Amino acid sequence: MSTQIKNVEKRFGSFQALQQINLEIKEGEFVAILGPSGCGKTTLLRILAGFDSPSSGEVLVNNKLVANETSFLPPEKRNIGMVFQSFALWPHMNVRDHIRFPLKHHQFLNEDHKSSIHQRVDEVLKMVDMDHLGERMPSELSGGQKQRVALARAIAPKPGLLLMDEPLSSLDAELRMGMRKEIQQLHHVTKASIVYVTHDQTEALAMADTIVVMNKGKIEQVGTPKEIYSSPTTPFVASFVGKANVIKGKWEGTTFSPFDQHSIKWDGTAVTEELREKNLFPARPEQLEISYHADGVKGIITNVQYQGKEIHYTVMVEGEQWVVHQDVFTKFSIGDEVYVHLKEWHDRRNIGEKNQLLFV
Amino acid sequence: MLQNVVSRVQNQHKWWFFIGVLFVVIFFVVPICRLVFLSFSSEGGFTLGNYNSVLQDRSTWKTIEHTLYVVGGSSIIAIILGVIMAWVVAYTNIRYKQLLQTFIFLPFIIPSYITTLAWTQFMSKDGFFAHLVSMLLGSIEPLNMYSLQGIILVMGLSHYPLVYLLTVSVLRKIPRDLEYAARVSGSSKWQSFKKITLPLALPGIASGGFLAFISSLDNFGIPAFLGIPGNIRVLSTYIYEQIVGLGPNSFERAATLSVILGVIALSGTAIQWLLLKKSKHMETAVEDKEPRFLFSKRTRLTIELLLWSFLLVTTLVPLLSMLSASLIKAYGLPFAPENISLKNYQFVLLENQKAITSLKNSANLAMVTTVICLVIGTAIAYVRTKMPSLMTKGLEMIIGIPYALPGTVLALAMIFAWIEPIPGWNPGIYGTITILFIAYVTRFLILQVRGSITAFMQVDPSMEEAARVSGSNGFYKWKQILMPLILPGVISGALLVFLTALTELTVSSLLWSSGTETIGLVIFNFEQAGYSTYSTAFSSIVVLLILLAFTLVAILQKLWDRRVLRHEHSD
Repeated sequence: MSTQIKNVEKRFGSFQALQQINLEIKEGEFVAILGPSGCGKTTLLRILAGFDSPSSGEVLVNNKLVANETSFLPPEKRNIGMVFQSFALWPHMNVRDHIRFPLKHHQFLNEDHKSSIHQRVDEVLKMVDMDHLGERMPSELSGGQKQRVALARAIAPKPGLLLMDEPLSSLDAELRMGMRKEIQQLHHVTKASIVYVTHDQTEALAMADTIVVMNKGKIEQVGTPKEIYSSPTTPFVASFVGKANVIKGKWEGTTFSPFDQHSIKWDGTAVTEELREKNLFPARPEQLEISYHADGVKGIITNVQYQGKEIHYTVMVEGEQWVVHQDVFTKFSIGDEVYVHLKEWHDRRNIGEKNQLLFV
Repeated sequence: MLQNVVSRVQNQHKWWFFIGVLFVVIFFVVPICRLVFLSFSSEGGFTLGNYNSVLQDRSTWKTIEHTLYVVGGSSIIAIILGVIMAWVVAYTNIRYKQLLQTFIFLPFIIPSYITTLAWTQFMSKDGFFAHLVSMLLGSIEPLNMYSLQGIILVMGLSHYPLVYLLTVSVLRKIPRDLEYAARVSGSSKWQSFKKITLPLALPGIASGGFLAFISSLDNFGIPAFLGIPGNIRVLSTYIYEQIVGLGPNSFERAATLSVILGVIALSGTAIQWLLLKKSKHMETAVEDKEPRFLFSKRTRLTIELLLWSFLLVTTLVPLLSMLSASLIKAYGLPFAPENISLKNYQFVLLENQKAITSLKNSANLAMVTTVICLVIGTAIAYVRTKMPSLMTKGLEMIIGIPYALPGTVLALAMIFAWIEPIPGWNPGIYGTITILFIAYVTRFLILQVRGSITAFMQVDPSMEEAARVSGSNGFYKWKQILMPLILPGVISGALLVFLTALTELTVSSLLWSSGTETIGLVIFNFEQAGYSTYSTAFSSIVVLLILLAFTLVAILQKLWDRRVLRHEHSD
C-alpha cells in the first residue's frame, strides 16, 4: 500500500501545526518521522490515521483520495494498524482478546484469516513471543510485554500501513534497544509500510529506510539515515540529528575558514551545497579535536564531562559554545586555553605518517 | 464515495446538535425565563410592583434575617467540622480511615429531613440525649430542636461532609515537600502550616464553604420540619408557604421571592466554581495518601476516641433514637420490652394507602429518572469530553442551573412552564405524575452528566482510538471497549441520581397531587400531622433501603475491580 501526502496543511485556530507537507510512503517502506516535541509529527500521524483532517491539501492511498479539506475517511474505514505511545491496552481484556478484537472488526482482513481467527491469534502471539501469556490481563504484564501486545494487536489484521506513535518512549533504555530489533524483524516478516514517529534520532537512524526530519510544522529534510546524518542540508538537521556544532565562517570552493580566520583551512568536501550557501559548517563533536598546538581555532574549556569511553568538552570559541568529544588519554581542565581543529584533516595526516613508516 | 460517506456523517452531527440545543432550551432555559418573566408581570403588563410589595413587606425582611442566621451559622459549623476532619484524615496516622470516611459521609447520603427526624427523637424530652446527659452531668434540658439553633445545628452537621470532601483532596494534593522546605528554612510546625499549607488549601476550603452555603440556602427539609412548627421561616419555606397558601397574588409573590433566592444561589455557585478552578491550578496530579504527622500511640488513641465518639453521637445515635421511636406502640411510652412492636411498620407498609402509593411512586420515579438520565446524561458527557468547545461547556452549565437553583425555585419554574407549555394550551401535565418526571430529569440530569464526564475523563482517548484503528466505531466499540471501562463511574452517578430521586422532598412537596405522593412527602405529612411513630418507621425503612443500595453497589464495584485489576496470577 502506498500513501501520498500532497500540500497538506493543518491549522488549530491561529496556530499553524503543519505547513506544506509533501511526502510519499512507498509499499513496504519504513519511514521515520523525526523531530522535537511540538514539531507537528504527531499531527501528521493523526492525519494519516484519519483521527484528524487536513485544513488543506490531500492524502491519497493507492492513488485514491482518503482526505482533503472538506472530508476524510475515518480510521475504521482505512487499512491501517496503530501502536500508541501509551500502548492503549484495554484493562478489562486479556492478551488474546486484544488480538482477537481487530480480527473480528477490521474491514480489510483477508478471507483466510476471517475463517480461522483462532489460528491467526496463535500465529501472531508466536510472532511477538507471547504465546505462553495469552490469558494474562494487561495489569499482569511488564512494560515490554505490554508493548508486544500493542504491536501484536496492530499487526494481527495485516494492515497495509502500520502507524507507530513514539512506541518505545515509555520503556526504559535497555528494553528500548531490545524492542528496536523486534520491530525491525516484524517489519521484515510482515512487509507492511511503517510510519514511525519519534523524537529520538538514534531510533530513527537505527531502524528506518527513510527519515523525515520535521521542525516547526515543516519538513526540513528527507533522506536515508546516512544522508540525514552525514549530509544535513539545514542547520536544524545538523544540530538535531548529528548534534553538530554549526560554525559560521567563509567558504572558498570546498575549503572552509571558521570565523573568517584565513590561516585555518578545513576540508569540507562532504558538506552540502545548501549549508555552504549559508556560510555554515556542521562539525559533529566526534569530528573535532582539541590540543595545545596553535594550529586551530583558539578557545577556552568551560566544562568537562567524563563519560567513561570518552570525555565531552565544552569549549568557548569566539563567544560560542562548541562541544568536542575526545578520548580519555589526554585530559584537559576547565580554564585551559586550547586550539580546536577538524579531525578528518588530521586523520589524513596520520595515514600519511603511517604510509611513511611503511616505506621505512 | 468518500464525499458521500463523510458529508452524511457531518449532516447527522448537525442534526443531533440541533436536537440537543432544542432539548436544552425547552427543558432548561424556557422554565427559568418564564419564572423571571412572571415576577415582572401583573395584569397590566410589565411591572416592578411585585418586587416593591415583596420588599416592603416586614415578614420578607424577617425571613431574610432568619435565612442569613441559618445559612451563615450552619456554613460556619460545616467549615470548622469539615476542615478539622479533613486535616486529621489527610495528614495524621490515625487508623481505620476508610470506615471513618463512611461515617463522615453518612449525613450526606441520608436525606436531611430524615436526619432532622432522627435529631428530634434524639433530643426529645425523654430521648437518648436526655438520658446520656443526666447520667453524666445531672439534669440539663436537651436542646429544643424547633428553634433557630436546632435548624443551624442539623444543617451544619448535614453539610460538613461537602467541605470535608473538597478539603481532603486539596490537602492531599499539596506536595509534602513544600511544607518540608518551610521546615528546613527554619519555621516551626505551626508556622509552616499557617504560612504554607493553609494558604494553598484556602481556595479548596472556601469552595467547600460556598458549597455548604448554597446547600443551606437550597435546603427545604430541615427548616420545613423544624421551622414551620416554630414559626421560623427561611426563604425556601417562605416560598413554599406562599404557594400552598394560595393567597391573592401568591404566585407572583412566590416568583419574585424565587428570583431573589435564585440570584443569590447562582452567585454563590459562580463564586464556588471560580474558587474551585483556582484551587485546581496548583494541584499536582496525584493524591498523596501517606500520613505526614505521626502521633505517638497515646495521642493517636485520644484523637481516635474523640473522633469516633463525635461521629457516633452525631450520626449513629440519632438514627438509633429514630429506630427506637419507630418500634414503640404509641408515642410517649418509654422504650421498654413490653412497649416494642412492629405495628407502625405494619401500618406504613400494609395498611396506609398513601404510604404504599408513595413507595410505588418514588420507586417508579427514581427508576425512570435514573434510566433517562443515564442515557441522555452519558451521551451529553461523551459529546462534552470529545468536543470540549465553548458551546458544549455552555450547554453543561445550563444543564447545571436547575440543580444549582433551590428546589422550591425550580418547582415553581416547572409549574409555570408546564401548566401551559404554549400559552392557551394545557396538555394536563401539571397535576399528574408526568410533571414530577420532567422536574426530576431536569433537576438531576447534571448529576449523571458529571458522573459520566468523570468516567470518560478516566479513560484515555487512545483506548477508543485503538478500537477505531482496529476497525470498529459503532456498536462493538461501545459494547466491548467503552462501556466496560466507564461502567463503574457511570453507575456511581446513576446511584446518586437514583437515591436523590427516591428520597426527594422539596420539588415534590410543591408538584404533588392526590395519588402522586412521594416517600418524602408522606414522611413530611405524617410528621406535620403529629404521627411521629409512623414518620420514624417510614424513615427507618428508607435508611435501610439506602444502606442496602450502597452495599450492593459497593460489592459490585469490588467484584469489578477484582476482574479488571487482578494482580496475582495463577500459572
